[in-house]
Amino acid sequence: MMGFKRSKSIFFTLFTALILVVSGCSQSSGTNQGAQTSATDNTSSNPVSGGELSYALATSPDTLDPHRSGLAVSVRVFRTIFDSLVVQDADNNIQPWLAKEWAVSEDGKSYTFKLRDDVKFHDGTPFNAEAVKYNFDRILNPETKAGNSTALLDPYESSEVVDEFTVKLNLSTPSSSFLGNLSQAMLGIVSPTAAEKYGDQFGKNPIGTGPFKFVSWTENADIQVEKNSEYNWGPTSVENKEQAYLDKVTFKIIPEEATRVGSVQSGQVLAAETIPPQNIVSLENDPNTQILKVNTLGLPYTLFFNQREEPWNNVDVRRAVLQAVDVDAILKTLYFDTYERAWSPITPGILGYDEKLENSWKYDVDAANKLLDGAGYTIGADGVREKEGKKLTLNYVDVSPNREKRNDIAAIIQQQLKKIGVDVEVNITQDYLTVIYQNADYDLYGNSQVNSDPNALRSLYHTPPENITRKGLGGTSNLELDELLEKGTVESDPAKREEIYKEVQKIIIDQAYVIPIYVFPYTVAASKKVDGIKFDALGYPLFNDAFIKQ
Amino acid sequence: MVLVSKTLQKLINALLSIFGSLVLVFCIIYMLPGDPVLSMLDPNTATPEAIENLRKELGLDQPFYVQFADYFKNLLQGDFGQSRITSEPVLQKIIVHLPATLLLTLTSMVLSVVIGVTFGVISAIYHNKWVDVIIRIIALFGISMPTFWSGILLILLFGVQLNWLPIMGSEGWKTLIMPSLALGLVGAGFIIRMVRNSMVEVMDEQFILTLRAKGISERIVMFRHALRNALIPAITVMGLHIGELLAGTVVIETVFSRQGIGRVIGDAIMVKDMPVIQGVILFSAIVYVTVNVLVDLSYSLVDPRIRRAH
Repeated sequence: MMGFKRSKSIFFTLFTALILVVSGCSQSSGTNQGAQTSATDNTSSNPVSGGELSYALATSPDTLDPHRSGLAVSVRVFRTIFDSLVVQDADNNIQPWLAKEWAVSEDGKSYTFKLRDDVKFHDGTPFNAEAVKYNFDRILNPETKAGNSTALLDPYESSEVVDEFTVKLNLSTPSSSFLGNLSQAMLGIVSPTAAEKYGDQFGKNPIGTGPFKFVSWTENADIQVEKNSEYNWGPTSVENKEQAYLDKVTFKIIPEEATRVGSVQSGQVLAAETIPPQNIVSLENDPNTQILKVNTLGLPYTLFFNQREEPWNNVDVRRAVLQAVDVDAILKTLYFDTYERAWSPITPGILGYDEKLENSWKYDVDAANKLLDGAGYTIGADGVREKEGKKLTLNYVDVSPNREKRNDIAAIIQQQLKKIGVDVEVNITQDYLTVIYQNADYDLYGNSQVNSDPNALRSLYHTPPENITRKGLGGTSNLELDELLEKGTVESDPAKREEIYKEVQKIIIDQAYVIPIYVFPYTVAASKKVDGIKFDALGYPLFNDAFIKQ
Repeated sequence: MVLVSKTLQKLINALLSIFGSLVLVFCIIYMLPGDPVLSMLDPNTATPEAIENLRKELGLDQPFYVQFADYFKNLLQGDFGQSRITSEPVLQKIIVHLPATLLLTLTSMVLSVVIGVTFGVISAIYHNKWVDVIIRIIALFGISMPTFWSGILLILLFGVQLNWLPIMGSEGWKTLIMPSLALGLVGAGFIIRMVRNSMVEVMDEQFILTLRAKGISERIVMFRHALRNALIPAITVMGLHIGELLAGTVVIETVFSRQGIGRVIGDAIMVKDMPVIQGVILFSAIVYVTVNVLVDLSYSLVDPRIRRAH
């Protein structure tokens, strides 16, 4: 029996040790907070060459073929491997990249690009007019099964090779967003030789002209790229136009938030994207980490009323809900004010964004109640408004999984609208394609989009064309708006476009077609050893200037 | 001869179970809401013709039983179909990812057994003493804590605070420790309870009294006689538990960013990649059934009475 007594004391020791370790945890997190003042920012140090940057992605890219992809996460990798013809700078001007200069025809239907003559793909294929033609025709070819690139390339029709380094692109109609779209990574230029060789497996063997060359992709683990030492055609959006400082970038795929944050905190990876709001504050205070944050460009997260049916075809009813939703409270509760509030159907930074819309309406329950009274809805015994025996209910549809806590927004709005007697039914579905775009079976539904041009509004707010099976979001049908959106697509003078889109935003908000909620910030937590990660106009990371401090 | 025919019968049962799960999975996926064709095309630009063409191409315009018959026929020829997203052959995907998952499942199982039996025995020996109470509380935690939660706690403790172990990845044996512990704790909890209870029961049996009366040392009574009898229910639990372990890998592989079949099916469900979902579930069913056949057969090794009964 002696042996058993000994094990009793061993057990006791282990148990005590466990308690000590756990209490140690809380102590050390206390010191982290105390040390924040001693953290110094050395942003001005000189770039050093060499080293490997590990960068944790929240989800896995669908493919590394830019023309076939449909996911933002893929673009984060594309920007290392692929270059585009042009680049969009912070002021929405289009600058040269692989194209040195260009001219637009009188009728706005053809673009002639003069290309750089010193660019080579990673596989040695020369970059020239033939390559550009091949790329855009590839997207049009149904066999490619192109993804988002199809919509971006619209209304492209054909290319003509004028000479080795001059290419003319023909459009079916003039389009003021076409040039800007060419700057997007999903219209990045791929090696024609490699695309022919690998066919539909090109996405596993991507070859471009970018600052990094593809090395390997281990599914669900990592994607590795290495420095392209011949690179010297960097865009204006970065300082270092030559070869990158980093020898290698390894994108690690870490879907679980806590693991991703933990991997940066422990120094096991050097940078991680999409940091949850609750961790941002603590990481900012951590002496070893820094938070990089950039607002994404395009359409903010916006709730769309389905205006096809009663009562949501009534502007007063929509307006009442708009005024009864306390967006500030939502942003504070769910995102600890790390997300900026959206006031317009487009985000700040997009051409034509109207600052005057900011604070142009107030959270006002009384005004909302008055509007509903005026619309003939009276409060029933159960506190829910009704008119002619029909209760005022709102079918709020949202998507599972709970991306960016959007399901929680629905729950909060459900509570908030009780104050004006609107009964909100929240329906969370995975099958939004059927519910929203096929059956249009909803009253309120949220959506956002990364985009570089206000023309993105057209696909959401223009009366939908007849020949498409998908039912447009919101079902907005406003002739005045249609006309403005059509003008915006073809107008070539930026100043006039600005005016057009200001008018568009004004109508959308005046008509309360939508409730803008937040502008999504792309957040990166990085070790203080990392410097020089930049973001392009759309908010995607660029690694040309990045380096690891010694 | 009797043993052979019994084994044969078990094998036939196993094949039937696998076929049953195949039918069940096919039905469930068929009935899932949402049109797989619509989710594959860009809804902004897809024309009705394009949708119909793709539906034909995938054979999704056929009635249910034709689709199943086609799938089954291809399966018998070793063709599991292709991923609808990446057009990779499903079988190849499974072959690449299955070993990592099997390794994780195996180490978690070993951990469950080692922790479970050790603590179960200690608990039985100190039956109703404070050591027993604490072990029972630990077992309760093991059973009730969701694996993703214990996984995150382990990450915070051993990964972030102490920085002893790698948080993610599947390279090297060190990356295996935390995931298999997180996954194994549940099984350990069950085994602790099983072993403890059956040992406590066995200890009251008359043969133990006889052994003690004969003056045989307590150690031999415990380990050679009592534990051996107590192990049978524990083995049964383990066999059934393998299903939970396989299901648990879906969560644990995601939490620890490991490669494996759990992650593959998790991702496939997100994008409704039916051939992959079917393939992985079929393989999991095969693993599950195989392990349980082995468990059945192993009874006879542990318990001579079962062997004789054959």
